[in-house]
Amino acid sequence: MTLIADRPGPGAARPYRFPPVVRRAVAGGQVVAAHLPGQNLAVALLLLDVGAGQEPLGKEGLSGVLAKALEEGTAQRDAAAYALAVEGLGTALSTGLDWDSFQASVVIPVDRLSAAVELLAEAVRTPRLDPADVRRVRDDEATALRMDWANPGPRADAALRADLFGAENRWGRPMYGDPESVAGLDVEDVTVFHSEWFLRPGTLIVAGDLDRIDLDALAAAAFAGTGGGPAERGGPLEVPLHAGRRIILVDRPGSVQSTLRLGHPSPHRAHPDHVPMTLAGTVLGGAFTSRLNHLLREVHGYTYGVRGDFASSRRFGRFAVSSGVQTAVTVPALVEAVGEINRTQASGVTEDELAVARSWRAGQLSVELQSPRAIASALTTLVVHDLPDDYHARLRESLLAADVDQVSAAAATHLHPDALTLVIEGDAAIIRDELTAAALGDLLP
Amino acid sequence: MPESGYPWPIETSRLDNGLRVVVSEDRTAPAVAVNLWYDVGSRHEPAGQTGFAHLFEHLMFEGSVNVAKTEHMKLIQGSGGSLNATTNPDRTNYFETVPAEHLELALWLEADRMGGLVPALTQETLDNQRDVVKNERRQRYENVPYGDAWLRLLPLLYPQGHPYHHATIGSMADLNAADLATFQAFHQTYYAPNNAVLTVVGDTTASDVFALADKYFGALPARDDIPSAPDGRSVPTTGQTAVESVSADVPAPRVYIAHRTYPFGSPGYHVINVLATVLGSGRGSRLYQRLADGERLAQPDLVGAYGVDLAHAPAPLIATATARAGVSAERLAEGLAEVVDELATVPVTAAELDRAKAMLSTGWWRQLSTVDGRADLLGRYATQFGDPARIVDQLPALLAVTAEQIAEAAADVLATDRVILTYLPEETS
Repeated sequence: MTLIADRPGPGAARPYRFPPVVRRAVAGGQVVAAHLPGQNLAVALLLLDVGAGQEPLGKEGLSGVLAKALEEGTAQRDAAAYALAVEGLGTALSTGLDWDSFQASVVIPVDRLSAAVELLAEAVRTPRLDPADVRRVRDDEATALRMDWANPGPRADAALRADLFGAENRWGRPMYGDPESVAGLDVEDVTVFHSEWFLRPGTLIVAGDLDRIDLDALAAAAFAGTGGGPAERGGPLEVPLHAGRRIILVDRPGSVQSTLRLGHPSPHRAHPDHVPMTLAGTVLGGAFTSRLNHLLREVHGYTYGVRGDFASSRRFGRFAVSSGVQTAVTVPALVEAVGEINRTQASGVTEDELAVARSWRAGQLSVELQSPRAIASALTTLVVHDLPDDYHARLRESLLAADVDQVSAAAATHLHPDALTLVIEGDAAIIRDELTAAALGDLLP
Repeated sequence: MPESGYPWPIETSRLDNGLRVVVSEDRTAPAVAVNLWYDVGSRHEPAGQTGFAHLFEHLMFEGSVNVAKTEHMKLIQGSGGSLNATTNPDRTNYFETVPAEHLELALWLEADRMGGLVPALTQETLDNQRDVVKNERRQRYENVPYGDAWLRLLPLLYPQGHPYHHATIGSMADLNAADLATFQAFHQTYYAPNNAVLTVVGDTTASDVFALADKYFGALPARDDIPSAPDGRSVPTTGQTAVESVSADVPAPRVYIAHRTYPFGSPGYHVINVLATVLGSGRGSRLYQRLADGERLAQPDLVGAYGVDLAHAPAPLIATATARAGVSAERLAEGLAEVVDELATVPVTAAELDRAKAMLSTGWWRQLSTVDGRADLLGRYATQFGDPARIVDQLPALLAVTAEQIAEAAADVLATDRVILTYLPEETS
């Protein structure tokens, strides 16, 4: 035999060291930076304490329109000149939104970082917001959402979110809004939102070779002309579970696959069960080797892939499973998925599975130490959730220390198979009767 | 900025069985990337076997002589690693990034499936992964608006019998007809050490990797009669414009203009890379400035141009735009063609050129900012051009492209044999 049969064991583990974190108060704002010696590329990220959660009800998508409008000219130059200035440096302004925060960032060779941060600040702090431009951007954003919503997924996501959290709440509506909510925005919504939230200093996150970066100068540029303190964040929300399983069918005539979204509310980010809950989610659906992917893909061939996880923000969380399955096997796939969630809730996890889950999650922390982008993202987590500098090292230890009893207890407590909402976006004419007959829950009208 | 496009060491070795081993040490993070390029892709597939190289890639995760079904994924993820594989017309690559202490495990797993896949391959596994791949086809190509554009562009760009004529995902009919013996033969034919490059980048040393490579791969037999794919380097000019119009369930009209250009890796392709950036990358690009901003024909998020980096035949350049509400497909197509045509007639300015080069330069460093990005590129240059050190010249070559070269390339390849693919929203009854 030419192959070596014995599987090699691991070598000596390299120590896990998150790069040194520098925190500094400068010019009214906070700087949080990580030193990456020798790294040619740097990231600067301006983190503002305003997320989709701060958008007024009925104004969903406001942050997205504002983000695009930031690049439509500034106090100093028009849109074309701004684009040329930013792209002439070799970068692009990249913006991002979640429920808790808004971010604008640049990735760029370190020798051009300060020029890029000045341009970033110019757009975020002093956008022109000319009414005609804002209206055009709004219309373009509404169109972009219509394009996106023509894909399978967004309508199912929206239906699940509304059923879990209630469409009467901002967090029960899509994070980026929908085509109608964006089309309904007016210029004043955008300008008022900017002056209320985008002129507070926020936090400047920097990942790069700090020997080649003047943090004070970057901060002075990023925080110039800002004022006002941090906003009231609001505490965790009480989100009730539904009594009984519910089914929502979103019609997509002619669809060759059914898009599945199964979920229920779960705890917020600061909940003490965060680590065991994450691991339970990993065993059930978080990795390629998870129970759901094994069953639906590797055993039955129903799908190209299925994922399930707990996700959380400051105020709320949700457990969700998502997949696309061939239309003809929609109901069997749902039965198997619900069955597996049931089994995991009732019987917990095994040591064998947990060993994979905990070393995967812990090992990923090492693998993710490479790029400035990944380090900046890790720093963002520290800021958004008020975590200490050694958070990632501690997280690694608690992942590795989690035992079967703790993780099984988290599965038992935080999985609610009988309170699931099952959203199916697919060809209703083909799947409705079989779905009704399967009696997985109440089919909502 | 460093003068070289690759300021890390590159060390190479070749085992007696022909396996090329490339190592690039970097101690920054406690991780290593392991990457295997096999010089086999969908260009090797004969008629009636489209999609086989990619379906085969799936089978490589389903167990081998010493690795049980599904164990490969479990062992890599259970070590904290990430893994995947991709297939394209040119090649198939397999890669994992693991905490450095698990390097040996990754090499053992790769050797086992290089040398010991066939005995573990069963009909049940093939049937299962065939279903998975058919679902992949539905999910990525059939169930999304415009999802089949690439499948339609390829046969318009490359004639019947050309190795790039068909798409890597293959046809449902061919996938249904796939039999076990064909896949056993596929492995025996192409998955030989002398048809592969093993690259390791990160927290290790070249001498350690060379020793481990020899230990795990060294006894695998070479194969001396690996068949080549059909030669596609010369594609006869038609002198025609190929037009295809599709009525489909899409939310807005969309137009693609495509041309065959030069093979990836040739000097001409560097020019196309810069040309595509001037044309369609970013808000400062011609397409954005003219179609999204200026005449407002196109949706701003959906204009773009890019080269597809295929190395064994003239590679495609694709420009695309999607209509704003109230703009017809005809008007959009005219506007798009006008901007593409002007690449030959309206000289690229110094500012346009600087912008493109600055963006490409940052893009280059971003690609190299991770060990897996570096490993894949080194494997590419070793496989396709025989020398991983070719990577060092790539950025300087891009930065040396001139406006005159762009105009010449545009006149050379964009003037004829145009492919125009248009999607029109179906009339709703």
